[in-house]
Amino acid sequence: MAKRPSVYPYVWRLPLLIWQGLFFIGPLCLMVAMSFWLVRNYRMEPDFVFKNWDRMLSRGFFWDAYWVTFLRATLAATLASLLAFPASFALAFRTSETVRRWAIFFLIVPFFTSYLVRIYAWQVLLAGNGPLNAILGLVGLGPFTMLSTGFGAMVGYMTLVLPLVVILQTFSLAAIDRNLIEAARNLGANPRATLFQVIIPAAKVGLIIGFIFAFILTFGEFVSPFYLGGSNPPTLSILIVDTTKSGQQWPRAAVVAVIMIVTLFLAAFAAVAAAYRRRS
Amino acid sequence: MTASDPLVEFRSVKKSYGTFEAVKGLDLTIGRGEFVAIMGPSGCGKTTTLRMLAGLEAPTAGTIRIDGREMNDVAVHERDTPLVWQSLALFPFLNVKENVEFGLKMRGIGAQERSDRAMLWLDRMGLKGFETRPIDALSGGQRQRVALARSLVTEPEMLLLDEPLSALDAHLVIRMQGVLTKLQKELGITFVYVTHSQSEAFAMADRVVIMGQGEIAQIGKPQEIFRAPQNRFVAEFVGRNNILSGEVAGGAITIDGVTCPLPGAPDGAAEIVVAADRMTIHADDPGKGALPADFVSEEFAGTGIICYFEGPSGEELKAQVSEAQLAELAPEPGRRFWLSWAPEAAHSLTA
Repeated sequence: MAKRPSVYPYVWRLPLLIWQGLFFIGPLCLMVAMSFWLVRNYRMEPDFVFKNWDRMLSRGFFWDAYWVTFLRATLAATLASLLAFPASFALAFRTSETVRRWAIFFLIVPFFTSYLVRIYAWQVLLAGNGPLNAILGLVGLGPFTMLSTGFGAMVGYMTLVLPLVVILQTFSLAAIDRNLIEAARNLGANPRATLFQVIIPAAKVGLIIGFIFAFILTFGEFVSPFYLGGSNPPTLSILIVDTTKSGQQWPRAAVVAVIMIVTLFLAAFAAVAAAYRRRS
Repeated sequence: MTASDPLVEFRSVKKSYGTFEAVKGLDLTIGRGEFVAIMGPSGCGKTTTLRMLAGLEAPTAGTIRIDGREMNDVAVHERDTPLVWQSLALFPFLNVKENVEFGLKMRGIGAQERSDRAMLWLDRMGLKGFETRPIDALSGGQRQRVALARSLVTEPEMLLLDEPLSALDAHLVIRMQGVLTKLQKELGITFVYVTHSQSEAFAMADRVVIMGQGEIAQIGKPQEIFRAPQNRFVAEFVGRNNILSGEVAGGAITIDGVTCPLPGAPDGAAEIVVAADRMTIHADDPGKGALPADFVSEEFAGTGIICYFEGPSGEELKAQVSEAQLAELAPEPGRRFWLSWAPEAAHSLTA
């Protein structure tokens, strides 16, 4: 009896495909198309002109915003990976299964509250006459300007990504075959060499995934640079908001958005390629 | 085996995990160039003993000396006691040659010398041409040889092996046994080999240490362990043994009313062990010194056939016969036979 192709699995896959088609591929195509449209008398008209692209790419302010966004996201991903690593290492290797389970739970708890609420809380804490400066004042330091600075934005980025990076790193470190670590020590590797020659290479995929998640999330972030970073210099997300507000320039905003998506695709591809690169 | 200048010395070594005592006061010396197998059922403390030797576990009490040096406070990476893991623990993110070079790299040996020495060992293990392969592109036997090369490349005085063959196919086990024995003879270094497999231990080791419940049950040459088990635990662990209880009086033992000579044994209750291949099966009662036994079943055991019987008080009795002998006896379940043994085949157990 010939095997009939089963419809069953497709039924379960269909909702996701429809969802992705309607709300990802569709808007993406629309956005790319829109970047070639024109705005006349504050109204968009479908067209096929390169004016928006030419306009945005030839402007210094666009490239300034691009590099600020790119470098900040790179810095945030690096910082988050480095800050998370000791904690992840301790959770993976120095704590019991029970402690690790509770720690993972408490790392998820921050996501219970809206990110925006947490950023407002930081606004209060980091204010010029806020509690943090008051405490620093007690030991004769400050007051420091922390709001509307790159530092402020970075605090916001860490609030967003640090728990996630710790979780990803912890899982990848905890999954390392303990025999590999013992084998390294047995073959004469001191603790430092064991870390760099065995533990980090063995957890490479998870560490890179953690980094690239932090990069992607902070690259498109609007809240932190706006409320804690003071929009100055503007990031690409702030630039998009500004562009749509000034003269209904949705097509120009679409140009920025398309460039952001292309950048993230390239970054994600590079990261996955690096993570799964085979050694010859 | 120079007893005056041993390579390894365990002195009253204990290891406990909480209230559980994994190793209870171990005394053991291992000579230079010796192939020692530590054997026992799971949970007997054999792997813990090996791991303490490598420094992967710290003894709770007692001292371990290697080459006369007390090792209790020496870190794992400062020892030269390479171990071959059951899982092999090869680094999946390094290729074959990088795996072999690892130990040399950790000792700060230059790239050129590292490469030369690694190539020498890959060649020796028959892995020439595989140096740039990733580990997961190798067969089980090839991985085994990479693990051996990786451990031996630093030319250690001893090699520790933790059930390295238990994951291999049967035909490969025999081949690797040959590889290991030859290697140990050629290198002249000490091998400490932990296994639960009797055939591996008896086939390769100069000396076998039998462990049970954290203690050494017997140490001896394979033949001694097999022919002269000192206690019930060893006799049962080795298998193919008949363990018989009786009363000794005047150089003879009475078992279930049957009296057999047991020269030199002190009077009183005693247990004796007779190997299955030393038992003679009689179809008719030979008159004296033979235990009546009812046939139960037979089992083909490669080197012969083990016949199982039920003795007078329900005990299991075993006798090994050849195929021709079996055909001649033509046993059927329930049929009565008589088992006897030569006095010198009986061996008294001490505990």
